[in-house]
Amino acid sequence: MGKFVPFLALALLGAACATTSTPDFIRTGDPITDGYSAINQGPAEDRVLWQYRTALEQIRSHQYEPAAALLDAALDRVGGRYGKDRTAKKARGYFSDEASKTFLGEPYERAMAFYYRGLLYWQQGQLDNARACFRSAQIEDSDADGKEYAGDYVVLDYLDGLASHRLSGGGSDAYLRATNSAKLVVPDRYETVGNVLFFVDYGRAPEKYATGNYQEKLKLRDGGSEAIEVILKANTQSIHLGAMDDLSYQATTRGGRVMDHILANQAVFKEATDTVGDVALVSGLILAQDRNTQEAGLGIAAFGLVSKLFSAATSPRADTRTWDNLPKFLAFGSMRLPPGPHDIEVSFLNDQRQPIPSRSKTFRIEVNAPPHDTVIIVSEFQK
Amino acid sequence: MRNYFCLLALALSMGCASSGLQPRSGVPVTEMNADERGFVAGTGIESQDLVTVTDTMARTILDTPEIQHATQIPRIALDPVINETRFPINKDIFLTRIRTQLNRKARGKVRFLARERLATLEAEREQKRAGAFTSQTDPRIQEFKGADYFLTGKLEGLTTRTSAGVSDYILYSFQLIDARTTEILWEDAAEIKKQGLEDAAYR
Repeated sequence: MGKFVPFLALALLGAACATTSTPDFIRTGDPITDGYSAINQGPAEDRVLWQYRTALEQIRSHQYEPAAALLDAALDRVGGRYGKDRTAKKARGYFSDEASKTFLGEPYERAMAFYYRGLLYWQQGQLDNARACFRSAQIEDSDADGKEYAGDYVVLDYLDGLASHRLSGGGSDAYLRATNSAKLVVPDRYETVGNVLFFVDYGRAPEKYATGNYQEKLKLRDGGSEAIEVILKANTQSIHLGAMDDLSYQATTRGGRVMDHILANQAVFKEATDTVGDVALVSGLILAQDRNTQEAGLGIAAFGLVSKLFSAATSPRADTRTWDNLPKFLAFGSMRLPPGPHDIEVSFLNDQRQPIPSRSKTFRIEVNAPPHDTVIIVSEFQK
Repeated sequence: MRNYFCLLALALSMGCASSGLQPRSGVPVTEMNADERGFVAGTGIESQDLVTVTDTMARTILDTPEIQHATQIPRIALDPVINETRFPINKDIFLTRIRTQLNRKARGKVRFLARERLATLEAEREQKRAGAFTSQTDPRIQEFKGADYFLTGKLEGLTTRTSAGVSDYILYSFQLIDARTTEILWEDAAEIKKQGLEDAAYR
């Protein structure tokens, strides 16, 4: 009997060394500075997440060039995700959290990275590259479980068509797709689109959370929005915008993931090994009371302990890392304005159609000379 | 016996949790040829595609009778390629590589016009005309050459996405267009299809 116990102790000592990582950078409170710290000094598997977050903060602070560089770096990683991936393999294993894989984001997050990069290309006058980004964004959304919800971002199809229309007068197919998918606002015809393009986003990002006995089920909930509509005013013009797309809807209509099945299997394994461990431990210890069955009893107890160890080491926790500064709603509108400086007033309206005072803002824009469009990105949370 | 159970209890209560800095292991930089497929690969347009496509195009342009048997050296201007794929690219890079390949291999059979430098060249000419800079010829004479041909191209793509991965087909087509008649003197195309399977952890 004595030979089992030292072995067991060694097994316990060596087993399942859980590693928790803490952020290894100092937070200053400035989202851009902290974002760069996280990118350069934080865990490598979170780098793309921080590139997304920081780029969006930079867009909201009108730092477009560094934002484009960050999105390019992130999208290079997203585009190169095919084939063997060491961190993904580890995340599929029984003894690692899903969050140990390199974060690339759920499809709605990857689509939004392409969307914002597309806007920046448009701003630079590279309409075909902008269109390429909108097409890639739609592809990210195109493998939904229910095909009904695959590739159904209205704004992406609409902008794909608008870019084609601007480049060669085409785009009618994309326009048709956009209007067919439209559940909120039906977009304007391309002929009526002016030279100043406003891309407005508002509301809070979808939130990820984990449920289940072992936090193995990834769920998403609506981030909510106090603002429902937007009014933009310039000179004597005023446009009233509603959302073309709702990211919460996009995030929650994709159906299950393959990874969900892997995590569910891990949860079953964790539960089964725990139960087997309990039964073996109790039975073993009871048997060990009797001098005649003591050796067998301790053997069974040792087996039970090992089974409990395996259970404890199994980690089916779902990955809830989120691109948390995304908006909920995406809106688009345009005006025809002569080249030069113009003051723009933006009001976000609540569900009573009343302006939300804390969200109103005024800023000056410089309208480009024709033929280049002027692209203005406005966020509810812009300072 | 009691000691053994104490040892077990100690082992059970001990956590091996560690926190703090995660050690990063680096990978040395690997120098590769531009036409090699790297170990970081996607289904988009990569350097090996650029090299393959532009090498093929440069070779076949030179076989065009209008170029081979031209009595005067043809002047070619570049018109940016049209990107209709889902991949953002630096559009100039294809034509730049075809131009450099042709300049290297054609040995004076064709000449390219530096239209992308036109603003600089015009400014220089104005300075010469104003007498601010010296000139070996009369700067008032128009010597900027017009294009005989335009070299241009189009990239078109077709994408299939399934729950397992993605497949991207790209057609690279290039044309040499007669600037006077709008005739397409030469056209060639290359096609590349790539497929990538995603790890289940990302699906």
